[in-house]
Amino acid sequence: MTVRALAGVTALNVAYAAVGLALLFGFGALGTRRAALRLAGLGYLVGIAAFGVVWTTLLVVGVPFGAGAIAVSLLALGLAGVAAGRVRGERLERGPPLVPATPSLLVTAAGVALAGLFLEALFRAARLLSLQEYDAWAFWVPKGKAIFFFHGLDEHVFTTTPNASYPPLQPILDAAAFHAIGGADATTLHLQFWFLVVAAIFASAGLLYEHAPAWLLWPPLLLVLVVPRFGERLLAPQADVLLDVLVVVAALLLALWLRDAAGWRLAASAVLLAGAVNTKREGIVFAAGVFAAAFVASRPRRWPSLAAASLAVGLSILPWRIWAERHGISAGAPSSFDSSRLGGALRLSFEVLYSNARWSVLPVIATIALCAAAAWGERRLAAYVGLLGLLLFAGGVWSTVGFPDLAITADESGNPIVRYTGSLILLAAVTTPLLLSSVWRKSRQ
Amino acid sequence: MIDDAVGRFLASPGAVGRLVVLFCVGVIVVALAWLYPHSFAQANRTARANARLDWVDRELGGGNSVLPAQGIAVEARGWIPERGTFAVAVGEPRPGWSELAIPASLENYMRYYLLPRKIDPDAPWILCFACDRSAYPGARAVWEDPEQGLAILRRGQ
Repeated sequence: MTVRALAGVTALNVAYAAVGLALLFGFGALGTRRAALRLAGLGYLVGIAAFGVVWTTLLVVGVPFGAGAIAVSLLALGLAGVAAGRVRGERLERGPPLVPATPSLLVTAAGVALAGLFLEALFRAARLLSLQEYDAWAFWVPKGKAIFFFHGLDEHVFTTTPNASYPPLQPILDAAAFHAIGGADATTLHLQFWFLVVAAIFASAGLLYEHAPAWLLWPPLLLVLVVPRFGERLLAPQADVLLDVLVVVAALLLALWLRDAAGWRLAASAVLLAGAVNTKREGIVFAAGVFAAAFVASRPRRWPSLAAASLAVGLSILPWRIWAERHGISAGAPSSFDSSRLGGALRLSFEVLYSNARWSVLPVIATIALCAAAAWGERRLAAYVGLLGLLLFAGGVWSTVGFPDLAITADESGNPIVRYTGSLILLAAVTTPLLLSSVWRKSRQ
Repeated sequence: MIDDAVGRFLASPGAVGRLVVLFCVGVIVVALAWLYPHSFAQANRTARANARLDWVDRELGGGNSVLPAQGIAVEARGWIPERGTFAVAVGEPRPGWSELAIPASLENYMRYYLLPRKIDPDAPWILCFACDRSAYPGARAVWEDPEQGLAILRRGQ
């Protein structure tokens, strides 16, 4: 790794955050400069999702991918966001202090310090990490290299690598990182994933900050960073963490949208879910689950805007599916339903979800928080989170039942259920503060 | 005095809900206090282990678990031009090969490692993993590791 590579990948990721913030400005999310700072992590996620979805379409229509084209597309997306904001009459005021000088400031400072310390250690681990994971070298990184070297969806690589039906958003981000690094350096590529982890924590804390006190917000967020199964795989150059982060932050935005009906939250969640469906096949199941839960938990007068967002997300997957169909790549959905596997699949999903060795106490505490919110807190929120959790859980069971060649085992070489369950764990971590704060608030009224 | 305070707390409306919240936060904080130092130490150990790797080990990464020997990958990058194509031919595994050294894994790994060079069954370059060399008449070995049965073959122009 060289200083030039480090500076390049940092500049690219700052550009993603700037573009995402410009889009959030266009959606009317910012209002003040301090809100922009608070939502910078969300801005980053919106930036990479928008960039990835736009480039998926551009690659399908044959636009060559290169450093100049990356810069132009980022600039165009950013300008579009700023222009939309100006048209809407948006301005950035100074605003009140980000964290007022109250006792909770100490908790926030401790949370930021502990997260920062761990992320710094993770940075040192990522900086010189070699590419170990089978899926990473079997198809994710080769696809990214192919876009980097051949400037597009090289037919040979994209049709002959395993899991050819996976959409190309993650490889697009890898290829952009290679351009920023100055070569197809799979070691330095791990930093791209480190930036994603930083943004995920920053985005979740930034969104929850106004809705949960610091003492409820930071413990679950810190715990999810260090639970054994999650902490060990955060930097793997695969699409699992990206998918989980996009889906869960979108789900969190919709949970808050159910409260305040702020249009920007729905728009931002649609961008993130469009990114998710263009990241992995499971993204379609996850996005459908998020929208289904939001429909059930929202009032009918909000259904038209929710339907429009669902339609936009659904349409975003079409370019890739058209390309895949034209090249004889099937959708890769579960092909059968063998009811004799149902019991085993249910048991497996349940055991993996409540595995203390993998996720520590997070799923158990999230379940208690959910029940407490249903009993004493905000029932609409509890209904949304509970239904979403059930739908995601059912999706995992369906995948084990529907792919007969998957063994009913938690061994990751035989069944991806552990990776799949990561989304439920991240959902548990970001919704627990909301659920608990609703109980605390209502119990004091 | 403590009894009074606890009594007042429990008698107040919503006490059970608040107790559940305090219980949840308490359990998470205890788990965090236990796991954070372990994970932090693990991240430090990983950083040190990564820094100790030599360049070839780091560059090959997962290939170290798949390839019978590092030489074939490093040499292939040197011999095969960037715009060239190659085929992967795998025969019976030799004693000492990793159980991951199977045709699919070897082909996937070499595709990843050698890009932008592409795989083509009719390519002039053949990466031979204990393969049947008689299947490539006229091909000459430009590099060989006889102990592991590895070779890079070049078919006639």
